[in-house]
Amino acid sequence: MTIKNKVFITTTSSISCGGNSCDELWDNICTQKSGITIQKDYFHNSIPAIGKINSSNSFYKDLIIQCQNILDKSDLINFDETLLIIGSSVGGMSTTEDLFFKTSSYKDIDTNSHNIDTISIILQQKFNFYDDISFSTACTSSANAIGYAYEVLGKGIYKNALVVGVDSLCQTTVGGFLSLGVLSSAPCKPFDENRDGMNVAEAIACVLLETKSKKNSVEVCGVGYSSDAYHMTMPHLDGAKTAMTNALKLANITPNQINYINAHGTGTKANDTSEANAISETFETITKVSSTKSITGHTLGAAGAIEAIICTQAILNQTIPTSTNLNTIENKEVNFSTSTRKEDINYVLSNSFAFGGNNCSLVFGKVGRN
Amino acid sequence: MTINLEILESSYIYDPIQIEELNTKELVPKMVTRRRLTRASKIAIYLASKISSKDERIVYGSSFGELEATSNILHSINDKTMISPTHFQNSVYNTAISYLSMLNNNKSEIITISSGVNTSLKVLQAGAIKALDGDTISLFVIDALNIAKIDELNNCIDFLECGVALKVKVTEEKETFDCENISNNENFPKSLINMLNIAKSINKDKKNIIKIKL
Repeated sequence: MTIKNKVFITTTSSISCGGNSCDELWDNICTQKSGITIQKDYFHNSIPAIGKINSSNSFYKDLIIQCQNILDKSDLINFDETLLIIGSSVGGMSTTEDLFFKTSSYKDIDTNSHNIDTISIILQQKFNFYDDISFSTACTSSANAIGYAYEVLGKGIYKNALVVGVDSLCQTTVGGFLSLGVLSSAPCKPFDENRDGMNVAEAIACVLLETKSKKNSVEVCGVGYSSDAYHMTMPHLDGAKTAMTNALKLANITPNQINYINAHGTGTKANDTSEANAISETFETITKVSSTKSITGHTLGAAGAIEAIICTQAILNQTIPTSTNLNTIENKEVNFSTSTRKEDINYVLSNSFAFGGNNCSLVFGKVGRN
Repeated sequence: MTINLEILESSYIYDPIQIEELNTKELVPKMVTRRRLTRASKIAIYLASKISSKDERIVYGSSFGELEATSNILHSINDKTMISPTHFQNSVYNTAISYLSMLNNNKSEIITISSGVNTSLKVLQAGAIKALDGDTISLFVIDALNIAKIDELNNCIDFLECGVALKVKVTEEKETFDCENISNNENFPKSLINMLNIAKSINKDKKNIIKIKL
């Protein structure tokens, strides 16, 4: 990839079960306040622990509020020159479910309210973006969206880009993960020997990317992609290693320069074993690692964007967050962060992996780093 | 900004109900794999064989994603029966192209775009931007809508299964035809129309170059 412009995350806004703002999310991660709750009435015959946004607004009203926050907090007057990049795995699925379950028929379903681009239709009506594009690669959707934003700004094709990682809870995803036997009925324990599964969650995470650094900006230094070409749901460590290595190569740094990895770390047996092995084979123990999904849950298509915000906060606060619920480390070759503490941080890497063996790693750097 | 793309290979296929000649048995010899494939996966594998797509980076697009798997899940929830794990793993939008990557052992970058009626336009734009790196990119757009009671949802699409694939690379040469002004009188899914029109206009005896506006 030929990148000629530097690209910066200049403004962020988010809402998730981990917090109703980016600052609240960061505080809750550092102080280990999980937003995961037990939902007795959510899905028949099961009691999954899931991450539901605590808001009195409708999901789509919160979506508009988060994007408005970006306008209010940034230098932009409007989004007339902004490329909108959506990352979502389910789009308008919860609307479709509501309509279908009422009548057991498709008659009332509007495809404009069902498809992935439902999100961009809503936001275009409200804000009038220069153009839009929607990515849907399951749990890497918004990581790929940030990678695309980095590419199009880095190549000088667009002036700025707003990535919106967004997924709302729906019975399809909760029931689907239940069918795979990977849902925990308690807040998840990523990388713990006794972990028993993941927590499906919802989130809206907005990340404005520009080619000029502003106050409190973080640089996007590289992206690495790969495909496992192995199995639909079982990850392969070679794919994860390739994505991380490709991201480091594009950032032109060595593994030892990464101070912190925000792992995909879902809490499932398969992901965490594979990812920990990939990390231990790529990085030395100088690099600290944690997963923040025990606080946010797995926000699926929004995960890449919400974790990019967490990485941004880690760099701006020069703080490595702890690993909540990690009591018995399974892979002792990895240097897991076991307390939240101040460190000199120049570079952070964020991993996102998805069904189909779709992998994306992002490298973020401190502005004015050594 | 504009980027010119040379179309190196192209293929398309469609049917009002269900495409019969996908050659799946020959292209996917292992029955255990073949049995898990969705309709869109079979179309992707067929198109890839036609444009000799092996290990290139891929930009894939689908407006409706895996409608059959999604519909099966909805019915399972509504009927309070267990969701099939296979239906769930096959319900993500990148399912078809992931099966293709497994079949071809393609470990490259593969992204999936779903931008409604503009899906194939966005696939062309993203493909053009990626092709600036100098490599050859495979572009696919597929929509497979042939599910039970689709008439409750569909009143404007005449072809329920459609797929198109292009293999492209960036060129400095001038465009040879205007892909924006190709007439379309048939009711294909709008999600495919930009790429389908290009594929249908290919002249195999000369270079085919299109201009992508960003």
